Amino acid sequence: MLTVTVVSHYPKIGDSPEEQLLRRSFGQFDRKEINEAELERIKDEVTQQVIQEQIEAGVEVITDGQIRWDDPMTYLAGKIKGFTLTGLLRYFDTNTFYRQPIAAEELEDPGGLVVKDFQFANAISSVPVKAVLTGPYTLAKLSRNRYYKNEEEFAARLADILGEETKRLARAGAKWIQFDEPALLRFKKELPLFEKIWTRLASFFPEGIETILFLNFGNLQGIYPAISELPVGSLGFDLAGPPATKHGGSAEQFGGSENWRILERTPLKKKLVAGIVDARNTKMETEEELSKKLERLLALVSGEDLSLSPNYGLEFLPRAAAKKKLAHLSKVVREFREAKVKV
Amino acid sequence: MTPSIPILPTTSVGSFPKPDYLKRARAQASRGEIKEKKLRELEERATREWIHFQEEIGIDILVDGEMYRDDMVTYFAETLKGFEISGLVRSYGNRYYRKPVVVDEIKRAKPVTVEWFQFAQHLTKKPVKGMLTGPYTIMDWSFNEYYRDRRELTLALAEVIHEEAVDLEKAGAQYIQIDEPAISVRPEELPLAIEAMKIATRGLRAKTITHICYGDFQKIYPDLLEIPVDQIDLELSNSEFDLLALFKRYPFTKEIGLGVIDVHSHVVETKDQVKERIERALDVFRPEQIYVDPDCGLKTREVQEAKDKLRVMVEATKEIRKKLEMASLNR
Repeated sequence: MLTVTVVSHYPKIGDSPEEQLLRRSFGQFDRKEINEAELERIKDEVTQQVIQEQIEAGVEVITDGQIRWDDPMTYLAGKIKGFTLTGLLRYFDTNTFYRQPIAAEELEDPGGLVVKDFQFANAISSVPVKAVLTGPYTLAKLSRNRYYKNEEEFAARLADILGEETKRLARAGAKWIQFDEPALLRFKKELPLFEKIWTRLASFFPEGIETILFLNFGNLQGIYPAISELPVGSLGFDLAGPPATKHGGSAEQFGGSENWRILERTPLKKKLVAGIVDARNTKMETEEELSKKLERLLALVSGEDLSLSPNYGLEFLPRAAAKKKLAHLSKVVREFREAKVKV
Repeated sequence: MTPSIPILPTTSVGSFPKPDYLKRARAQASRGEIKEKKLRELEERATREWIHFQEEIGIDILVDGEMYRDDMVTYFAETLKGFEISGLVRSYGNRYYRKPVVVDEIKRAKPVTVEWFQFAQHLTKKPVKGMLTGPYTIMDWSFNEYYRDRRELTLALAEVIHEEAVDLEKAGAQYIQIDEPAISVRPEELPLAIEAMKIATRGLRAKTITHICYGDFQKIYPDLLEIPVDQIDLELSNSEFDLLALFKRYPFTKEIGLGVIDVHSHVVETKDQVKERIERALDVFRPEQIYVDPDCGLKTREVQEAKDKLRVMVEATKEIRKKLEMASLNR
């Protein structure tokens, strides 16, 4: 069924004083005015706030907004024993940063990475919650390995830990589990390694779970349609980013229009999460633009197999812009459904 | 009369930390508790203090310390026409900034930095650098709701930065620094940044400098040398001077702003550490090529830390200078 969803993170604060609770609380925590338990309670409260906002904006499969995550690496690696977190590095071509994990000894499965977060969100949400993890390949690629014999062994160990997490999430009631693997689009030549790691990861996937592989920070040129053979239910990617221009930007960086070309040449034989809303620019898509994109997609994929989303997590936007963009997307989908009923 | 510039001139990258009284006043001003005029007085006081400090320790080319700027891109966006300022966006941890949004054609209705440049230059006989943010960086750090693409926006910004540079030169700036910290993030856009810098520096007689930091220099060097400026200022201490090996392979053909002070660390370097860094650089560069400065703006350090770091930098440079003079006398 045609579904409105999101990718990963949601802006942690907004412009009003109430929406800045988390920022204030971190300040209070640093000054030792509140303790860790209180800070955790506030993270719960803000998670509840952003869950509510996504639902109000018409999102039908939400995430917990990753309010507890500092970045896509630190939160997970910080929970896996054997990793040490080091200096800040730029996250792809964004103005955000992550602490680079170093594996200096055997990595241990902590027995729960995001399960508790999922349970919390799922219990308070009136719509389904998608669990989101950084994929094993990207976790390995953006970390440093000082313990395992080679990169493959390192990534395989991470695939096992994330595989166990998938089983735990399924037991906790998760129906949708997404893995973000942006690093693949920067190291496309490693597709054979990626396939090996993913075959291993998929061997853990329980029956009846919708698994999603989301790819952004680049385009699929050179790895599509090969990646549609991967053992995963849905493929998600950027169908919104600006086009490459002669001297400004290259196809490597700006996936949107390249991905349209690739997809229209060879339709996808899987379910598709289409990132048609640009989460890296405040410029609002018009309803007309979004409707046109939806029509183009429906010529390629059946509505049954299609979800619409932004092309990235929403934290690159101010919260007000993020919410407005989601509301636009939902409105277009709602009107599309109503029009269909009338026909 | 302008004092002459010695060999291995010492300078700074741009920002200094704001003293506590100014930080407090800025917070009050943002809540509307004190008037614009009062804030301006305190910004002037802090600028005077930094100019006097730089003179006192013997820095050769001064900066105004940017007591009146918050973010290096937002400051320009607030004055130029065509920008709005967005809501808060997170960069890391609990740090947020207001990212500018281009909503209309970019125009420079009035100079952005000239008045503060004049204020600082009148306080000293030594040269003060004119400090601008480069068109590529302003583009990359803004949302674009108006121009067709990144190139069109960058080139429009290049024209207004050029106008600003020309006005700084008219106001007496002998050194104009146009910072492009974003340049090293996307190697494939270096040609665009170079194209924009050609416009920004067109016809200038002042010495032109660009500062670049945080990035994968391996990927943009030696192409980086095509940026049309006289001097490229680089962060070298933070990377343990790894770049020197690269410069041995492909000679660095411009002047270099040699970052010898780590701005991310609370630890104040020893004089010997800084001397060693300069000496290592002297293996690769001619002495006339080198300007000595910290890695980056010092605004994130405490006032005292920044002062201590600058003092060590100047003392170390003076000792190396003496050594160079002795060597040339003995030749």
